[in-house]
Amino acid sequence: MPTARHLVNRRRRIDRLDGRPVSRSPDATAHRPSARAATPTRSRADRTAASPTAKSSGRGGWWAPGLTAVVVLLAGLGGYACLRTRALDDQPVRHNTALTDTAATSRVKGLVDTAVRDLFSYRYTDPDRTRAAARDRLTGAAVRQYAALMEQVHAQGPAQRLVLTTTVTDSGVEVLDGGRARLLVFADQVSTRTGKDGGDTVAAAMFAVDAVRQGSTWRIAGIDTFRRAQDTGPPQEQPQTPQSP
Amino acid sequence: MKGRNRLPGRRRRPARATEPRGGRTRLALPAALLVAAGFAAWACAGWYASAHDEHVAYSRHRDAALDAAEQGVRNLNTLDHTELDHGLALWEESATGDLLGDLRRSRAQFSRQVRSARTTTSARVLSGALTELDDRAGRARAMVAVRVTVRTPDRKTAVKDSRMLAELTRTGGGWKLNALGQAPVGDTGTAGPDAAPDAE
Repeated sequence: MPTARHLVNRRRRIDRLDGRPVSRSPDATAHRPSARAATPTRSRADRTAASPTAKSSGRGGWWAPGLTAVVVLLAGLGGYACLRTRALDDQPVRHNTALTDTAATSRVKGLVDTAVRDLFSYRYTDPDRTRAAARDRLTGAAVRQYAALMEQVHAQGPAQRLVLTTTVTDSGVEVLDGGRARLLVFADQVSTRTGKDGGDTVAAAMFAVDAVRQGSTWRIAGIDTFRRAQDTGPPQEQPQTPQSP
Repeated sequence: MKGRNRLPGRRRRPARATEPRGGRTRLALPAALLVAAGFAAWACAGWYASAHDEHVAYSRHRDAALDAAEQGVRNLNTLDHTELDHGLALWEESATGDLLGDLRRSRAQFSRQVRSARTTTSARVLSGALTELDDRAGRARAMVAVRVTVRTPDRKTAVKDSRMLAELTRTGGGWKLNALGQAPVGDTGTAGPDAAPDAE
């Protein structure tokens, strides 16, 4: 019995000392002396010790750098795709939504058509209606440009008993970029004078209009009548020259 | 377990320090992978959408058609009596369909007129806009404001602004004019698809 207990105790002590001697001892003997010998090997020993099993430590050898590389590649791909998208989105062709945005295109076209009709129509009995249109429909440089265009009409209108009826025959949106638009307008202006040089005349007008969106509506911010440099006379909106079709 | 307990203290401490770090890495890497994969997928989807945006394709057709309309109006209002054949070849190059037929039919007669009048006509496009575009059917309508200058042999120049309306068709060689005329003035005015510049 004492012998048996002694043997059992001894075995237990050996077990306690060496852990699982059969599986662990080659590993342990391999590492212990080298760990004592030099620092780099010590760190390797530590890593082995940190890993719960030899199997998982072997997998960690490639999956961490491998995954990191994949993460870097994916991030790089994403960044490149972002740059390409931005380059595509920055193309001028994208900024102009004339005709591509049909709703916005027809809205600005409709508003400018009515604005031009109201602005360049005049009735000597009700000149305030034209002035009201100017207040509602114009902004910025167009206020001054329009005043110059209509100066004579307002000055001579009552004496000539002038009636101007402007019809937009064609209009097209050249550029529509967010809250800014540029339109080309062809309009006919019929003027009726009942004064000394009475009669009807039709004037053909073409001009470009810059429009800006203000709140829910569009206002005309610029009127380009394509005046020639040497031109000093009234621009085309003035019904000065009768035109035979 | 017990075997590890026997390791000297200075070796145990770094071992413990690496253990939680290793666990964190095992969680952090897949998380980073997920985030990176999501980001890449999102960015590539945006890239694809941008590259295949049908609005952009439509916009390109719009710009190409408008360019062709403006160039066509410029060509068909430009003619130098000293380079008649070159000028008329440019006219025919800009036209297709009915307009091309008209130009070919009237070419001989028109050449005689311009040769005897010895005029030089040049054109500048002031502005232009498309009013309609059917990119599937390959048809478009455009309006172009053009300033035409006619120089006569006695060096007199006449400048005339014209309101042109054009119809375009997409051909194998790009967009070309198949009708061109001045916008009618008033209700009674009509203008055929006659592109001849005033040689008066």
